[in-house]
Amino acid sequence: MSESNTHAPAGGLRLLGYLVLAALSLVGLKAIIGTLADGHGALATTQHVPWGLWVALYIFFLGLSAGSFLLSTLIYVFGMKSLKPVGPLALLQALGCLLLGGLLIILDLGHPARLANVILHMNPTSAMAWMGIFYNLYILVVLVELYLAMRPRLIELASAGGAMSRWYCLLTLGSSNTSAAALARDQGWLKALGILGIPVAIAVHGGVGAIFAVTKARALWYSGLFPIIFLISALASGGALLTFLSVVTLKVPEEQKRKIVRLLARLTTGILCFDLLLLASEILVVFYGGLPHHADGWRQVLFGPYSWVFWGLQLALGTLLPILIVGGRRTGQSMKWLGFAGLLGVLGIIGARLNIVIPAQITPMFPTLPEAYHHMRYAYGYFPNSTEWQVGLGVCALGWLAFVLVRKCLPLDGQEHSATASSGGGEA
Amino acid sequence: MATPQDTPFPPSPPAESRREFLAGRAATAVAGALAVASLGGCGPASPPAQEGSAARRWGMVIDLRRCVACKACVASCKSENKTPPGVAYNVFIEEEQGTFPYVRRVAFTRPCMQCAKSSCAQVCPTGATYHRADGIVAVDYEKCIGCRYCIAACPYGARSFDYGHDYIEKAGNPYNEIPSSEYGASYGLRHKGGSPEGNVRKCTFCLHLQDEKGEYREPPACVRTCMGKAIHFGDLKDPEGVCVAHGEKMQALLAHRGNYRLKEELGNEPAVYYLPV
Repeated sequence: MSESNTHAPAGGLRLLGYLVLAALSLVGLKAIIGTLADGHGALATTQHVPWGLWVALYIFFLGLSAGSFLLSTLIYVFGMKSLKPVGPLALLQALGCLLLGGLLIILDLGHPARLANVILHMNPTSAMAWMGIFYNLYILVVLVELYLAMRPRLIELASAGGAMSRWYCLLTLGSSNTSAAALARDQGWLKALGILGIPVAIAVHGGVGAIFAVTKARALWYSGLFPIIFLISALASGGALLTFLSVVTLKVPEEQKRKIVRLLARLTTGILCFDLLLLASEILVVFYGGLPHHADGWRQVLFGPYSWVFWGLQLALGTLLPILIVGGRRTGQSMKWLGFAGLLGVLGIIGARLNIVIPAQITPMFPTLPEAYHHMRYAYGYFPNSTEWQVGLGVCALGWLAFVLVRKCLPLDGQEHSATASSGGGEA
Repeated sequence: MATPQDTPFPPSPPAESRREFLAGRAATAVAGALAVASLGGCGPASPPAQEGSAARRWGMVIDLRRCVACKACVASCKSENKTPPGVAYNVFIEEEQGTFPYVRRVAFTRPCMQCAKSSCAQVCPTGATYHRADGIVAVDYEKCIGCRYCIAACPYGARSFDYGHDYIEKAGNPYNEIPSSEYGASYGLRHKGGSPEGNVRKCTFCLHLQDEKGEYREPPACVRTCMGKAIHFGDLKDPEGVCVAHGEKMQALLAHRGNYRLKEELGNEPAVYYLPV
């Protein structure tokens, strides 16, 4: 991965990367429009496996969002000063991933235009309805926090002149007060919103975990540990992405950056270890008891046809390797290696999310149900088809491109008031 | 495929106007098969969200000793509700137990269980899936957003998402011009982008066959087609309730030789009982 390089890679390589991302985005957009126009007939999901790749990617993005938001509260609520330069980046990641996830889950609906029914006709016994409520609340919290976190820099840039000053002026929403009192008030609001945001973020992502956990029909999901594993792996994934993005994009003095990245990487590793503990507990209990329908889902995960997703992607690449890299005497000091570990953690979490959503649904409600009705929608098993991959990868690529673009237009780093540091010029 | 089997069945006490209705219906069904059926000819349309009679708790008693595994219940369900390919309200499940030559075939028909404590209605984010007063679990197609949470949550696999498939994909072919009579024919023909496509669908105990008072004018399709009279259908709330197709007392059937419900341990309290072989 050339992007894990601290310094800008060769221009040609970078251009090639952008071209690939743009191509993927276009293919994805075409598939998205096709799905909206023609309905879900193009999907490979079945009546046994109603939720596929898109739902897995939805919880992947939501986890990245909730994880980085909760990490941002370390700064804004718990006063961890040393991480302050990554605050806006963490909040932007929270917002962006939230929107990408939202796009995927809306696409997954049979009637996306009726989305508002979740609020208008809310069913209070539905975990999904509650998730919808908290999702909206969470967007509000993140948006306001992001604005407050960037406000002083925006005002500074708006008055600095130059081509972009108009844009920054717009983003300040008319505010121009950078007195010490105003800044202190910002910090107060950030803290208050952060405190409000902690339960909201937990409710959003824990709530998504609960969507699965309350489903007694699918024994793999039906566990009180499930929403907790959801949250902990969300924290780990958010931390991993934030580590990666910090290595690649953060523009602060080298020594400070090294400190921040190492702190983030170690934090993430600790959370990953805790996640591993929870997972081990769940798996050991399930297999010790060996209740057939309960163990069956986990047998799919550990020994099924796609067990490499668990052993290879989730465990080896996504958990153990990052732990070794961060713990390593030499690699643990290297920015490149730590960024790579972050990237691995993010990729591994995709495996974890796939393993949450799909194997639990593979075993039909009655073993011979697939033979009772001869149609592709009643066939045994599931593997995402090209439409699903196109949309999934397209959304990821779109997110990446949007991040590259937004980064150029928002003052994400340099929170320390270094008015003279030309933070916009380093990239290009 | 498109010839509804409105076979005669022994008259039952509660439904008086059934015979004349049936005559009209049979005519409609034939006409439908010939692709000239119009929406108006499909019997009295009742509103989709009718609540049913609170005095009733409709349920089934399926006598597996009487079942010959002909699967007419599945075929009649298809032709009654005009379910598209990949959507099944009722399936016939067969399992082989033992190893050759000591084998035994276990088979049963699986309609929706219309659970008293249904998982689907519990998890539905919009309340589109709801319990009617008579215990039938119905779907309000206009409220349903198509999230498929109910499919994930139903322990009986009794729900299906309408992916928009047709038996013959070619537009304008007569098979796609036969309206479904479910929910009082209020949805009739399927069309791209509109309900019930993109919705989750399920067995409704053919609630469109109820009259204004919520009594059955004729039994659900699977019940009236069952040639072995294995599927009994009636009110489970009334201790003297009788099968609307065959006239047996429902509670007597249940008490006669013991009964069981599928996945009883999950506590969903289905309204469908099985009598053992």
